Amino acid sequence: MTAATLSPARSPFRLRVGALWLAAPAIAFLVVFFLIPVGRLLFLSVQGDGGTLSSEHYDRLLHTEVYWRILVITFRIAGLTAFFSLLFGYPLAYWLSQMKDNRRNQMLLMVLVPFWTSYLVKAFAWMLLLGNEGVINRLLTGSGLAGGSLPLMYNEFGVIVGMVHAMMPLAVLTMMPVMSGIDLRLSQAAGTLGASGAHRFWMVYFPLSIPGLAAGGLLTFITSLGFFIVPAFLGGRQQTMLAQLIIVQVQELVNWAFAGVLATMLLATALVATWIYNRLFGLSSLSATEQTGGRTVDGWTRRIGFMLLEKIASITALATDHVLVRDRRTRILPAYSAIAIFFLVVPTLMVIPIAFTSSRFLEFPPPGYSLRWFELYFNSPIWISATVRSFGVAFATAILATLIGGMAALAIARSRSRWNGAIFAFMLAPMIVPRIVIAVGLFYLFAQMGLVATNAGLVIGHTVLSIPFTFVATAAVLKGYDWRLDQAAASLGAGRLQVLRLITVPLIRGGIISSFLFAFVTSFDELTIAIFVSGGLKSTLPKQMWDDMILQLNPTLAAVSVVVLVIVTAILLVAERIRR
Amino acid sequence: MSKQKFFPVTRRTVLAGTGAILATPAILRHARASVTLTVADPGGPFSPAFRKAFYGPFEELTGMTIANVAREAEPTAQFKSIVETGTFIWDVCTLTLSARKILETQDLLEPTGVEAADAPGMISEALFPNFVGTDVYSTIFAFRSDKMSGEEPKSWSDFWNVEAFPGRRALRKNPIDTLEQALLADGVPLEELYPLDVDRAFASLDKIKPHIAVWWTGGAQSTQLLQSGEVDMLSGWNARLQAAIDGGAPAQLVWNQGLYSIEGWGIPKGNPKADAAREFVKFCTRPEQQALYTSELSYGPTNQKAYDSIDAERAKVLPTAPANISQMRLASEDWWSENRAEMSERFNAWLLI
Repeated sequence: MTAATLSPARSPFRLRVGALWLAAPAIAFLVVFFLIPVGRLLFLSVQGDGGTLSSEHYDRLLHTEVYWRILVITFRIAGLTAFFSLLFGYPLAYWLSQMKDNRRNQMLLMVLVPFWTSYLVKAFAWMLLLGNEGVINRLLTGSGLAGGSLPLMYNEFGVIVGMVHAMMPLAVLTMMPVMSGIDLRLSQAAGTLGASGAHRFWMVYFPLSIPGLAAGGLLTFITSLGFFIVPAFLGGRQQTMLAQLIIVQVQELVNWAFAGVLATMLLATALVATWIYNRLFGLSSLSATEQTGGRTVDGWTRRIGFMLLEKIASITALATDHVLVRDRRTRILPAYSAIAIFFLVVPTLMVIPIAFTSSRFLEFPPPGYSLRWFELYFNSPIWISATVRSFGVAFATAILATLIGGMAALAIARSRSRWNGAIFAFMLAPMIVPRIVIAVGLFYLFAQMGLVATNAGLVIGHTVLSIPFTFVATAAVLKGYDWRLDQAAASLGAGRLQVLRLITVPLIRGGIISSFLFAFVTSFDELTIAIFVSGGLKSTLPKQMWDDMILQLNPTLAAVSVVVLVIVTAILLVAERIRR
Repeated sequence: MSKQKFFPVTRRTVLAGTGAILATPAILRHARASVTLTVADPGGPFSPAFRKAFYGPFEELTGMTIANVAREAEPTAQFKSIVETGTFIWDVCTLTLSARKILETQDLLEPTGVEAADAPGMISEALFPNFVGTDVYSTIFAFRSDKMSGEEPKSWSDFWNVEAFPGRRALRKNPIDTLEQALLADGVPLEELYPLDVDRAFASLDKIKPHIAVWWTGGAQSTQLLQSGEVDMLSGWNARLQAAIDGGAPAQLVWNQGLYSIEGWGIPKGNPKADAAREFVKFCTRPEQQALYTSELSYGPTNQKAYDSIDAERAKVLPTAPANISQMRLASEDWWSENRAEMSERFNAWLLI
């Protein structure tokens, strides 16, 4: 922590201005392509019939209990998702961070596998696994472990399984770079001073990993707030999330004023929750504001936090030192990680045989095998052009978002401006606003700019959605970054760009790669913006899948997933080769 | 207004190739040969079926080109955006009756110019000044015949009767049609459904609530539920349920007390190609064209004369076949457009209790 307090505080005024300036492209981009279009739409919520200011739509909200109940459900599901993603993702991220680079990159491929399967396809894979007549229930009843089918789906459990599965890679990828940056000698030092294994972990390692934990928690929580596919497919009657209601208002009832009200409600409460979270768990450490005000507040929460950790450490020390034999303990982590990775890849593993099915349905196990779905895919110019476009758009989005999001993160990390908090919140805002609201707003803007149904329009829209991810992922690694290295280089005569190119960027490479992947995947799997911006003319892969599955689900989707998986794996392996 | 110039140009360049190939020489065609209509249909199995029935033959006849794209299940938001920004990326789009009503209220639809006299044989419910119905779908229920021993369920009262017909059930997570089903189960005659007695409907729903294993949200999901045997009995759209049966699922449809509705073409208001669009829409009322899609889609033609050229076996699974449509009624769009927002709120609240 001393490293962080040393540098920016003493920097000359010139540097501070220069640092904040780095956030300008991201701010300008989001103002034009996010704030203005969304603001115009949300403004409808305070307009009456004649275009005058009116609170009539908000009155309706105040007097209807159901929206508040659904808000609570939305928060509960998002909260549980974030909690379990961190809980199950943390040991996995730890295990990965301890590995040598080569092996870690191979293992990361496995963690990334769920990313490359469209969430539409994943939702259906879970339905096949968790259903009443699904794979798990057949295994359980077949082996006599359960008397009858267990209710694994169409309830909260099903939703959480589907959502944790979707969010865990995000949590792992956010935590891992931070963990890799932790100096393990600190733990060793604690050991030589007599701390037990449990104390070393809870009192030294764990607090140092909190920035990653906080970033992962925030990203998964806020992303989960906007989910609608998973609760629609895996949920029961009580699992309705706010995004689903907003979509109904926008698309079915065409009451955009009330959609604006609901979107504002989600936005406002998400901001409040972020603020509380920030206060309680010291999330502000991410935006480097801890060095300025709020020290006293952080002080007592931190003391309580450490007291708690001390207790946890003592309890775990008891458990691990006395119950478990030493050499068995070292096997627990790899075994756990293997199970976690299996959980992540199992829906994709199911998709592979389904792609070769002879049936017209997504069935598991397939009743017979054939190549007909691959033939359909490769003979369809529509599918092929959608695939090519998706890769191109995702690649362009990843470069743009990593660049301007990363620069903004650098700005925040290097500056002590009081605007940091506001900029930080602004960078995350696209995550909180439901995508359908952004999509409708962007359509209006793009129509005026002639960008509807263009690849550029898709790239811009996807970049808006990706900036929060690239920003947070880069900010998280910069948090643990030792700025004295930059100063050392500068004192040896390196110019600012040279420092950035030769020192900063290579050292935070892990974060930059994560950013790039996040942005790539966000674009690659994005549906809502594509629906509006493409208008059906410039179809991307998820849009094409969606068109195909609105009415009828067929195994072409599985075949497409397999093709994508093969291409991506090949690209990643080649990239890995080149880098070495 | 540079935006209005941008569009046709980009689209034309993209589609020029296709247009050139398809525009085979003919005397009549010359003037319109370069016109391309972008038609938004529901996608999936609709695209090839409509190409065979409507797009291909229309291109053949007029020399115009039809570029079809897939639209959303509820394209109202996009439709509104298209008209309000004057970005006519679609020239014609399929709408449900409820979408038609919403768009009409917001004055977003162009008149189609099709009169009843222009289209003999069309069912009267399928024609509006700004809408021409192409197909009829109905909300009915299906059951797994392998799970029903003995008597088969024949009505919504049977669906509600969990003692006589045990098994897992699914309903749609939406008040539309579900409230009607609850009233029918409670003994309200089909003819006297509207206006809906809402309190009675929810009281009836209370009785079935603990027995509903799945509340489905999408058409593809309903097919999957029936096909995989996840549930034994479920409400659904006839073609989605039929898809499971065509795929070999041992199931039967119950047409009795069904509610049907209509899908058809609408033209975005102010569309510069409205004349060509109207010509296309009128073409789609022809019975011999409509009969062509029924071999691939189990929806009912809106022109009853189409049944002259549909074989009797296929007619059995189509909603507008006389034997089926006589057991059903049109769902009231008027009632729903009045009450939909309120019913959605009440239904959502009811689900949470």
